[in-house]
Amino acid sequence: MAAPVNSVGKPSPERLPLNTTSFQKKTRSKLISIPGTRPSVQNGQLLVSTGVTSLDYLLGGGLAVGTVLLVEEDRYDSYSRMILKYFLSEGVVCRHELFVATAQDDPDDILQELPAPILDDVAIHKPLEQPLLSCEPSNSLDAMKIAWRYQNLPKVQSALASSSRFGHYYDVSKTMEPEIRQAAKCHRFYLPEHPTLSSPTHSPVLESYSALLKSLQDIIHKEGFDVAAPMSRPRNILRIGLHSLGSALWGDDLTCHDNPAHRHALTTFLYGLRALLRSSLAVAVVTVSSHLIQDRALMGSITRLCDNAIALESFKGSERETNPLYKDYHGLLHVRQVPHLNCLASQLPDHKDLAFKLKRKQFTIERLHLPPDLSETVSRVSRGEQAGAAAVASACGSGTSGNKHLDF
Amino acid sequence: MYVELNSILNSTPDTFTQGEFILVSDRRSDASFLIHHFLSFYLRARCRVCFLGLVQSFSHYSAVSQRLGVSLTQAKEKGQLIFFEGLKESLSVLVPRDANGASPAINFLRDPSVGLRSLYEFVRSSLSSFNSREKAADGAEEWGPPVLLVDDLSVLLSLGVSVGAALDFSHYCSATVCSQLQGNMVMLVRCDGEEEEEDEGSDRLLKGLTHQCSLSLHVEGLPTGYCRDIHGQVEVCWRKRRGEGLHTQKKLFQYKVHDKGASFFARGTSSTVL
Amino acid sequence: MLPELLQSTDAGGLLIIRDFASFSGRHLLKSFINASLNRNEAVHVLGFEISKEELKHGLKEPNNQRLHIHDAFSDPLGWTDHPAFTVQQFSFEELTHLITQTSQHKPVNLVIDSLSWILRHVSPTVVCKTLQQLKKGGAVRSIIGLLHADMHQNGTVGSVCHLATSVITVTPGTKRDEAVAKITKRSKSGKVMQDEEMFIINEDLTVTIQNKPNHAGSKRTDSEEQESDPTANLTFNLRLSDTEREAKEKLALPFVFSKEKKTALLHSGPGSGRILYEPDANDNYDQEDPDDDLDV
Repeated sequence: MAAPVNSVGKPSPERLPLNTTSFQKKTRSKLISIPGTRPSVQNGQLLVSTGVTSLDYLLGGGLAVGTVLLVEEDRYDSYSRMILKYFLSEGVVCRHELFVATAQDDPDDILQELPAPILDDVAIHKPLEQPLLSCEPSNSLDAMKIAWRYQNLPKVQSALASSSRFGHYYDVSKTMEPEIRQAAKCHRFYLPEHPTLSSPTHSPVLESYSALLKSLQDIIHKEGFDVAAPMSRPRNILRIGLHSLGSALWGDDLTCHDNPAHRHALTTFLYGLRALLRSSLAVAVVTVSSHLIQDRALMGSITRLCDNAIALESFKGSERETNPLYKDYHGLLHVRQVPHLNCLASQLPDHKDLAFKLKRKQFTIERLHLPPDLSETVSRVSRGEQAGAAAVASACGSGTSGNKHLDF
Repeated sequence: MYVELNSILNSTPDTFTQGEFILVSDRRSDASFLIHHFLSFYLRARCRVCFLGLVQSFSHYSAVSQRLGVSLTQAKEKGQLIFFEGLKESLSVLVPRDANGASPAINFLRDPSVGLRSLYEFVRSSLSSFNSREKAADGAEEWGPPVLLVDDLSVLLSLGVSVGAALDFSHYCSATVCSQLQGNMVMLVRCDGEEEEEDEGSDRLLKGLTHQCSLSLHVEGLPTGYCRDIHGQVEVCWRKRRGEGLHTQKKLFQYKVHDKGASFFARGTSSTVL
Repeated sequence: MLPELLQSTDAGGLLIIRDFASFSGRHLLKSFINASLNRNEAVHVLGFEISKEELKHGLKEPNNQRLHIHDAFSDPLGWTDHPAFTVQQFSFEELTHLITQTSQHKPVNLVIDSLSWILRHVSPTVVCKTLQQLKKGGAVRSIIGLLHADMHQNGTVGSVCHLATSVITVTPGTKRDEAVAKITKRSKSGKVMQDEEMFIINEDLTVTIQNKPNHAGSKRTDSEEQESDPTANLTFNLRLSDTEREAKEKLALPFVFSKEKKTALLHSGPGSGRILYEPDANDNYDQEDPDDDLDV
């Protein structure tokens, strides 16, 4: 449901094109027509869906355009990769443009694994239909006598319906049809294809990150994602997926050494990424193998340089897998940071004790509850499980250390 | 600006201590709401403000200041505010499109080992041109003492600048802005992790700046855990007080951030508790 | 011991005041400067951390001819064209030259505010060498330095303090204005004296010593809390007057024996009864199995 965007208070002052960023209050005429976006109810900012509706809810309605979402990978990179795929699939369904950068697998591999959207109303957008839609009135003038005002509208009405809906569901067991996928424009950056030039500067940024940043800026400028770009073309959102930054395959030793030599390469890159995004109609999801980074302070600065940050902790391979407390879930989800942009405070849902489960048709994120004590004897759960509950509470940042069991 | 904070700090836009170095710091929390307070405070006090906004875009600060009743765009046009937008300037270094066009102040991104001297030169030239007796172009305004605001200093550490260089930068800014020009300076430093851990970076920076400052506001989460209605606690520490004796004074308050401001109250007196 | 240090006129000494971010040692440093000026000595101050005006503030005679403040605050790294004093000038030759230029033949006390600033830019080995040369050499009689102990690694702080003849560590006290000073002093004979005192610095920069900190009672978190005497406001009397106390002590307790009887009992002489016990075969000594005789 797209609420109209009002500009708060005085009318916005005259904007010089150089100063525009994606955080201007959008007036009704300007950007309401981008499919797949909606304004935030709190501060009027433009939001896109991450592809996972429960994650949208936790982030305050969606991912704000111009921000970065950091996903700390789980140990085997299964669920973080899934989130990246949800993000890209949502882009395909909303007709956004995609940019995928990887150093490990070819971006096309990721694109071929995208989950299929659950269609009731997503139209299969056949590219061949497009020329027909730019109607010539002469042919169809006779077709509609009474309703002639509608003759120029595209025939496939459901395309509008899908773009006005925010957030879709995907079936993980099926992959997306190639026709749907190829309808979306996708840019790719595969590191082995880019020869590393030795940069003469003493800048702490690595060549791989510099090349990636340059490629991003080129695409943004060429395809018109700048906020300051002329309004002649219809505006769209660029969805950027950066897989496993900071890993050794990017040339970074952040995950290899306790005291990395390229200590500030990734943080400088993230600073440049934020600078790029703030002035464009783009959103980025970055995954990082944080479990390999030993320096917690460095992880803290990486988190602060991204606007939204979540961490996935899967139970696979840990002793929690067999813990009956966690049998309904696949892992824990920690929300490390949510931004307060353009406002002092925002109302956000509780972020404590969250666990996720990857179901076939939905990626659910729920508050972790103890199962009801249905046994006949009113026996307390064993000490080991209580310890598990306490660990969950403390893992969520500054959570209370109170015991969940109430002693009646 | 937040009225309760003004009474805690015993300052109003008409009367405030000059020559102060105010250090705002946080540990696992977010103290940027205090930066918005000081920005609107000093603009209302008709001071000339140089703002180094290194972590967010201009429109973010502008939107928040609008809610606090101050227009940054107007202040910029009047010449009262000089805004250095770090994000925008950094792109010209990180993704160079043409040879020139980068402000020399951002030179530290090219080679962080050089230090922050050029950034200091930028601050000095911006604020020295404000002679407090000089009238603005329209002839009607007279500005108060110059003020420097930095948000924030720890991001420089993430960009490769050493702690020593950051401390030298703050030393020189304090010497010029606070001592020489009798203006005020507010800097934000953010820390992660516990205090006892050996963190070479932001903790050492925080300690060094604490030695230099005259007033420090340290924001932390509540020691008892998360609370929806109390967002955290602020420890205010007056270090140097000229006329009133030589001792340091500390006070602890709890706070809650609203849509249009923040309220401060003594420990345990939050409106949800009472 | 603090007043003695303040008044001492020993030559060749290096006194280091260590402080932390929680409590500044600069006021104590100013007390030392004041005391030195009162003794008509010449004082040279290398002021890196605060401006000249702030340093002079509070001193008894700020415009004293014997006080020379070298302004190392405004431009210590030479970023402008005319630096007054840079950190590069911290070397034995330059300092001696500087001092002999301005002061004549009076003994000079060198005050460094602060050593931490210098240690950030000059390596600790060079700093230690310079300090040692200054200690020995003629132009400077004694050196007082302020060191922020939480700004450096433990080894750096340790090495610099190792050269010192006296080290005062300043920490905040329990009450508002009070501070605790832990003093270590090495005399020429090699003897080491240590002391811990609570002090207050008055408005005129003189130092007043409070009582020595009582370790049992010093861990009081709330400084406004008064010592409450539980026997104070009661409807019955829990105290003893002097006569009552004497009477109490004179009272003979029932089972307290006189001294002779005690010794008699303790050293039992010959002829006192003794019990001899030889366990028999029938006696059961095995505590483990009380039913040993059950032969089932």
